[in-house]
Amino acid sequence: MQDLYKNRYSVFIIAIIIVFSIFIVKIGSLQLGDNSYEEKAVNNALNKITLYPARSVIFDRNGKIIVKNYAIYDLYIFPKDFDQINTPFMCSVLEIDTAKFNTLFTDAILRSKKRQKNNAFNKSALFYSNLTIKQYTVIRENLFRLKGLFIEPRSDRSYEIVGGAHALGYLGEASESLLKTDAYYQPGDLVGITGIEKYYELWMRGVKGIKTVWQDRTYKERGLVKDDSFNFPAQSGPNVISTLDIELQKFAELLLSGKRGSVVAIEPNSGEVLAFVNKPDFNPNDLIGQNRGKSFRSMLIDPKKPLYNRAVKGVYPPGSTIKTVLALIGLQEGVIEPSSTYGCSGGYRMGSIVVGCHPHGGPLDVVGSIRISCNSYYCNLFRNIIDNPKYNDVKIGYAQLEKHWRSFGLGSPTGIDLLGESGGNIPTVGQLNRRHGDRWRSSMIVSLGIGQGEILLTPLQLANIAGILANRGYYISPHLVKNIEGVKDADWIRKYRTKHYTTIDKVHFETVVQGMSEVFKPGGTAWGTGITDIEICGKTGTAQNTHGKDHSLFIAFAPKDNPKIAIAVIIENGGFGATYAAPIANLLIERYLNPGKPSSKTAMETRMLTTVLEH
Amino acid sequence: MKKNSLRSSSGNNIDFWAFILYVFLLTIGFLNIYSVTSDVNQSTFHLSQIASRQLIWICGAGLIILTIIFANVVIIDYFSYYFYGLIIILNIAVLFLGHEVAGAKSWFGFGGFGIQPSEFAKVATAMALAKFLGTYGIKFRGWKNISIALAIFLFPMIIILIQNDTGSALVYLSFFLVVYREGMPGYFLIAAIWLGILGIISIIFQSYNISLGYLHGLFLGLGSILVYFSRKNRQIFLLVLIISIGSSLFSGVVGWAYGKLFKNYQKDRIEIVLGLKEDKRGMGYNLEQSKIAIGAGGLSGRGFTKGTQTKMGFVPEQHTDFIFCTIGEEWGFLGVFVFFSAFVSLMIRLIYLAERQSDSYGRVLGYSACCILFFHFFINIGMTIGLIPVIGIPLPFVSFGGSSLWGFTLLLFTFLRYDQIRKN
Ligand SMILES: [Zn+2]
Repeated sequence: MQDLYKNRYSVFIIAIIIVFSIFIVKIGSLQLGDNSYEEKAVNNALNKITLYPARSVIFDRNGKIIVKNYAIYDLYIFPKDFDQINTPFMCSVLEIDTAKFNTLFTDAILRSKKRQKNNAFNKSALFYSNLTIKQYTVIRENLFRLKGLFIEPRSDRSYEIVGGAHALGYLGEASESLLKTDAYYQPGDLVGITGIEKYYELWMRGVKGIKTVWQDRTYKERGLVKDDSFNFPAQSGPNVISTLDIELQKFAELLLSGKRGSVVAIEPNSGEVLAFVNKPDFNPNDLIGQNRGKSFRSMLIDPKKPLYNRAVKGVYPPGSTIKTVLALIGLQEGVIEPSSTYGCSGGYRMGSIVVGCHPHGGPLDVVGSIRISCNSYYCNLFRNIIDNPKYNDVKIGYAQLEKHWRSFGLGSPTGIDLLGESGGNIPTVGQLNRRHGDRWRSSMIVSLGIGQGEILLTPLQLANIAGILANRGYYISPHLVKNIEGVKDADWIRKYRTKHYTTIDKVHFETVVQGMSEVFKPGGTAWGTGITDIEICGKTGTAQNTHGKDHSLFIAFAPKDNPKIAIAVIIENGGFGATYAAPIANLLIERYLNPGKPSSKTAMETRMLTTVLEH
Repeated sequence: MKKNSLRSSSGNNIDFWAFILYVFLLTIGFLNIYSVTSDVNQSTFHLSQIASRQLIWICGAGLIILTIIFANVVIIDYFSYYFYGLIIILNIAVLFLGHEVAGAKSWFGFGGFGIQPSEFAKVATAMALAKFLGTYGIKFRGWKNISIALAIFLFPMIIILIQNDTGSALVYLSFFLVVYREGMPGYFLIAAIWLGILGIISIIFQSYNISLGYLHGLFLGLGSILVYFSRKNRQIFLLVLIISIGSSLFSGVVGWAYGKLFKNYQKDRIEIVLGLKEDKRGMGYNLEQSKIAIGAGGLSGRGFTKGTQTKMGFVPEQHTDFIFCTIGEEWGFLGVFVFFSAFVSLMIRLIYLAERQSDSYGRVLGYSACCILFFHFFINIGMTIGLIPVIGIPLPFVSFGGSSLWGFTLLLFTFLRYDQIRKN
């Protein structure tokens, strides 16, 4: 039989080869020409779940735990997988309405989409953070039927001891701007907002871990990815040893309750802050968990300003406390000698200017002027310092004074490990020119000599002055963290080991210190407030306040030799320095130097604890 | 060809190369089904339920091969029409008695297993067509013979279309290729290709809402001019007239049918493949996932059982119609090349074997086997990589499924058995 179409077989061969070639070219372009597919495949099949580390535990200087963590639970969702049938149930558990639920749901979809590199949003996203125990229990019991939901733990703060709120700071959810600038954070993450929680955030937050699980198209978890490069355990934040003495801190808070003011106590030779108190303050327990946002908003509008950190942000005229520094400058500049005297007839008069002084006997030397706090002495001294014939120009003389003041850490932040510290104000020559015209004279600014006028200091700077007097000439920037376990080298470690020397020679300090030790003697400004067996050196101050009663100020250190504590106390509207500030400072010094012993001044202690000045 | 292959009483052997390639493809299929159904963190050998079932199907295929080899070939030839008739009856019966799987009413269920008679209709049709064209004196000439030949394979095609199994039905178009080898004029094929292009153009016009009037105008206008110039030559004149009016009519019919008869999801599939529509959620999502799977394979693949795209279910039907994704993802370009080479070798080998047949029966059977495999290969791989619309048909010997494996085995080995006893 003749086969007329024998040659047609070649058409089939050609067709097969053409199809083969087209397929090979197409598949080759998919597999060899485009590298993005493997990444897309990996992104599809893996779900990376963040493991939250525990934040650093904060200890006080004696090893007592102040701040710990407790587990909180966040609800996560696979938006695409969630069954809307469960919406009413979830609304009732979370106690929200449907509109709120839908808002949360939409937010979760956006977060989920951000995590997915290609089309489908099959990644989990945070849905509701910080479940209450009740919510957690109910949801966990029903989880088997709540498709698309799961719970992950995280940690929040737990305050073992309530104290030092303004030093330790509080946590809050990462802000939008932080989320934009730092990819480490995810919405809902807790970060330090103030205090050392904020300053040491990078250390205290720990390191997040990652758990990578296989996940199929239906979001079903198919086990852990057994590859070490996909799984990292979370690393807890290292223990933070704060410089605070929590017992002293709590006692100081007690003494200040019912008042408005600050206490800052420093260990002079190390710059370590022993107590750091502001009143009014807040209970850090109000700023954790589900009520965080609500409490925070009410604190923000509270007229008592509980969040206001006056110890580093509040500025006050130092009043007579500045006389200690002025005496040192006079001695250093050679304007006076320890035995130099200035007369006082109930005050300082210079034309129309009158600076009053309380009655006291005879011409006083440096020691006496501090004991008595003679205004006349310091008005004269101030003028003599800036009118020093050595300079023959009041502005050069003043600039010299300003330089000395600034060497005490005044007029600029001390460098404490808190953000937003104020530097106070030391008027510059330019500032005085603007205020008094170009041709001002020493008589016009004489109030600076008694710590009034444009000179403004923070309570922390006052405490730092006390520390410098205790150290006889230097300070280390005050700080609230002693040590972070495992951190051997950091900018802040070097910073808090550097001594800053003042421009005053050490020899001049003993005179002033002697004067300070005599303020508790009969006739001294703080007579009657001293502690019998502790040699305290102090200086009272009364800061004029245009808005009301004067502020009561006191700076002190003790013991006189080899001092262990330097302190500044300011009680707003407390009147004379000796009225409240000095008793409180002395009670704190006593408590710190004689720990565990009852006060020798029970009546004074009771009076301080029970006084309510706040209105 | 005296190789170590299966012997039978007649003395010749079952073709060694075809047999080896068949076993090779079956092995590839099983390994990939094993892989895609294994657990993601599985480290030891463990057969999934699906892989175990495939193993049972493979054993069944072995039994079928043995049965064919020991059967008397005269019976194969003789029973062709009876077998065809039986299968047609079964396929009609399944319309009433069968149950639906994935929208197609084409399954008989037996306990946990199902059987799809349409998978056996291909081999029955091939045998019936071979029998008809192999009858002494019958040529693919004359309206009567051509009509009978076409009816033999278009009839089951229509039944299967009624079963709503479009993919399986389309496979019957491959018999056009078979009858082309047997003498169908070449312009049939050219016309078919032209109509295909015309159909696509009409669909594009329709989906962009461009009036088909432009097409009519073009064909009729161009036709009129050509008709005018060819008015002296009556043959060309008639041809041009028929082509232009026919084209115009066809595009009109396709445009109308596309607009009225096609369901939206079918339109979506077609439009996505034609690049008219981008949809990454629905149909496009599957296609995108399928491309990601294959693309992720790179040159040498992500490794056996390491294909997450397929085993995590991102690719749909990953062990049946989209099994090729697993080959692409886990074995990479090299694996794909080897697999394609094996498949193409088998098809070319079948052409070689068909051409050495001394009678039309054997040749038609051989070409039928080759063309059906080719059609499946073309549509299955084409849809997987996005060259043609997603039409659900299995990849022969590789996809999971007993009916299709047995159907293809029956088809291949009926021919190989016939080849074995060919008159030298
Ligand atoms: Zn006086």
